[in-house]
Order: sequence, then C-alpha cells, then structure tokens
Amino acid sequence: MINYIKNIITGFISLCEGLWVTLKHFFRPSFTLQYPEQRPKLPLRFRGRLVMPVDKEKNDNRCTACMLCVKACPNHSIAVEKLIGEDGKPKPKASKYYYNLATCMFCNLCVEACSFAAIVMSDEYELAVYEKEKLNLELVSEKYNLTGAKEKWWQSKFKEEPGE
Amino acid sequence: MEILKDLIYNTGKPLSQFYQWLHKLWAGFNFPPLVLDIIIQFIVAFVIFIFIALNALWIIYYERKFSAKLQIRKGPNRVGPIGLLQTVADTIKLLIKEDINPVKADKIVFFIAPGIVFLATFLSFLVIPFGNGLIVADLSIGVLYLIAVSGLAVIGILAGGWASNNKYSLIGGLRSAAQIVGYEIPNMIIILTVVMLAGSMKMSEIINAQSGYKWFVFYQPVAFLLFLIASNAEINRAPFDLPEAESELVSGFITEYSAMKFAFFFLAEYTNLFIVSAIATTLFLGGWQGPVLPPFIWFIIKTYAVVTFLMWIRWTFPRIRVDHLMEFSWKYLLPIALINLIITAFIIKITG
Repeated sequence: MINYIKNIITGFISLCEGLWVTLKHFFRPSFTLQYPEQRPKLPLRFRGRLVMPVDKEKNDNRCTACMLCVKACPNHSIAVEKLIGEDGKPKPKASKYYYNLATCMFCNLCVEACSFAAIVMSDEYELAVYEKEKLNLELVSEKYNLTGAKEKWWQSKFKEEPGE
Repeated sequence: MEILKDLIYNTGKPLSQFYQWLHKLWAGFNFPPLVLDIIIQFIVAFVIFIFIALNALWIIYYERKFSAKLQIRKGPNRVGPIGLLQTVADTIKLLIKEDINPVKADKIVFFIAPGIVFLATFLSFLVIPFGNGLIVADLSIGVLYLIAVSGLAVIGILAGGWASNNKYSLIGGLRSAAQIVGYEIPNMIIILTVVMLAGSMKMSEIINAQSGYKWFVFYQPVAFLLFLIASNAEINRAPFDLPEAESELVSGFITEYSAMKFAFFFLAEYTNLFIVSAIATTLFLGGWQGPVLPPFIWFIIKTYAVVTFLMWIRWTFPRIRVDHLMEFSWKYLLPIALINLIITAFIIKITG
C-alpha cells in the first residue's frame, strides 16, 4: 500500500518535471535555419569542393604539377597533365587539372599532400547538377578567386614561410 | 440596444423569441409546424458542420505551431501569412487525392466506418453549451447523452480496423476498443462526482451550480486531472495513441484509409479534442461564465486553454506501453476515482 502511494507521487512529480522541460523550450527562440533565404555561417576549414585559387601576386595558380595530390587521392578523382614547353620538355606547371566531383569524398588528403598550397577546399556546397558530365571539372582554366577570411587563411599557409 | 445586449450576454432569450416569431409567421401560411422544425434543424446542423470544419482547420494549424514551439522549431510558415493557409492547402490536397479501396476490404463497412466515427463527434455538439442559452438542445440527461454518444466512436474505429483486412488495422481497432472501454469507466465515475456536486445532469444547471466562481476544479482538483487523463486516452491521443502507434502499427486503424475517408477520421480526431476540452470547461471550469467579455468568448478561451494543456501533454510524454495501458486504468485511475467519489459523497451528506 505504501509502495502504491509512493508510485503515484513519484510518477506525478516526474511528469511535472517533463512538462517543465518542454515549457522552458517553449520560450526559446527557434533553431531553424530557413535554408534558401538564410545561410549557415561556415567554419574556416569547411570542406566544400576542391578549387585551385589564383594567387593575386603571381596572377596565376601555384601548382607545380608534382603529382603528389594525384597519388594522395584514394578515389583517383584527380588527374594532372604537365605543361609541355616550346622546347618539347615538360615544365613544372599544370596545363590541365582534372577533378571528378562524382567520386570525390571530400577527405582533404590532396590538400594536405600539396607542398605549395596550390589547392584548397572551398566553401561551395551546393554541387548538384543535372548532367553527369558537368561533374568532371577542369580547375586550371577555372581561375577560381577566393574571398574574405578564407583567402587570408589560405595565404597564411605560404606567406609566413621564411624566404617567401 | 437592449436586444444587442441580450444577444451577446443572454443569447437564449432572443433566440427563443425569434423561434416563436418564426412559428407564428409559419402558422400564418397554414403550413404544418413540423416542416419548419425540420428546416431549422437542418440549418443548425449545417452551422455546426461549418463550425467543426473551420475549428478543425484552426486546431490543426494551432497544434502544428504549438508543437513547433515546444521543439524549438518554426512550424508551418510558407502558405499564407505565418502559414495560416497551410491546413487549407492540406485539406484541398486530401480531397482531390485518389480514393483507394483495398481489394479484399469489406466495401460497405469500410465505407461506413469513417461516417460512424464522425457521427459520434457530430452528435456530441448537441449538448455543448457555447454560451448563455447558446445550446442546441438542453437535455435533462445532457451528460449521460454525451457519454453514450462518445462511446459510439469505438464501433466506427473497430469496424474500420476490421473492414480494412489488414493485420495492423485490426490490432489498432482492437486496441482502441480495449482502451476506450477501459478508460470510459473511470471517466464516468469522475463525471458522476461532478453530477453529484451539481445535483443535475442538465448542462445549464451544472454551469449554474458553478456561478460566482465556485468552479468545481477548486473542489475537485484530483477529479479534474483524472478526467483529463481518462478523456485524453478516450480520444486516442498521445501518450495514449496506441491504436495508431506509428512505430508498431504503421498507422493503426487508419492504415488503409486515404483521401476523403481519411479526412473524416482526421476531422473527428481533432474535433474530439475540442469536445473533450469543452466538456472539461463545462464540468470543471464554470462553462461560459466570466467577467466583462461575452459568454461565447469566455467559453472559447477556457476551452482553448484546456486544448493547449492537452497538446502540451501530447508533445511532452512518450507513448505508454501496451501492458501498462490497462494496468494504469484499472489499478490507478479507477481506485482513485472511486475513493474520490466516496469522499465527495460523504462530504455532501454531512454538509447537506
């Protein structure tokens, strides 16, 4: 009998506790981000699609066609063609940088492998397209421009090094 | 001016005057008075139907917004200003959808079941006092009629579950039957307590007994809580929504229903919520009584306060377990309600 009454009282108190929690939630502002109109504030190291930004001092990209990123990529999403000079010898420069968005898994290994900070993961995350061919990108001719805090963060990768 | 004041604060008087005037006018044409009564009843039924439809539209929108607030979301806000037309759009979508009948379903029972469920809710509106005299029929056995009519819904739910020829539907219907029968008994005992206090089963007299802020909720707080729990279980809402438990039974007895028939089930469900709150208002919160504002407004405010509380409960608690369902009714609700009844009876006998 004592147990029975205790059951009722503890049950009632725990129900009131539950109601109190939802009541507190009632007066909070909503967490909802209304996506097409409102955008999330992305962290600095957000991993969107791969880009090859233009270094504004050189007015060109920083790629040397060393093939480290090609070897680092676990999915073979990257293929690089070296620039062939007029003398018929390969130059330390990429003429074509093929990047397959369909197989990329945004692991960031290529960026970590790059010794010259030539490539970086951008803030672009709306990557859906209607045709499969549009997923095969060519990054050299794209001449991508980074802006804002992301650009400063990217430049700090190579500017602070001694001798530069 | 006097008539306008009467119309707002004492609606019954001008309405009955208007009714008598109509009858006099009708008698002038030498028509039988029965025909006029039937016409008036049709008009009243139509008005009630419009009220049910509009009220359900609003109450669904209100529930979606309220639950969104409780879960730190925004809720519907795209269709119309702050999403007000969302339920209208949903209703139109439901009505123009294909009406699917399962091949092996019992066609006639499958068709009738939503009608029975809706009928039970529709009939309940007969004895709900919306204002001073604003009641369709002030029966002398108003509360008893209400209990009898609301028990009808279980037939419709059971028929719908059985006719669907689907195991989930059948289990849902059977659960609903067990649940409604199990929770109707404590519910009736609680209502009996109120009837004992008021000394009448007539709705208007129960409200009159609470005049002067002698609301029964102050005399019977335990009975009020028990009534909310038991009636919440009777209208199959969470945490007692076992008949349509999504995680176990797909959608219970409404699994096979679509389009218009589903709309009727949905309409009945949300109107039941309103009716239960209206009964709670009438029996425990003094009905339409209140200062300054018109009785109808007071009735709506109190009813929606109870509706909000029931929604708050719904969106807070998880679903009760099946084996706990009957245990809760027979081992906890019923003994407490009985003890409450006996104590009330003693006190009424002693104080006279």
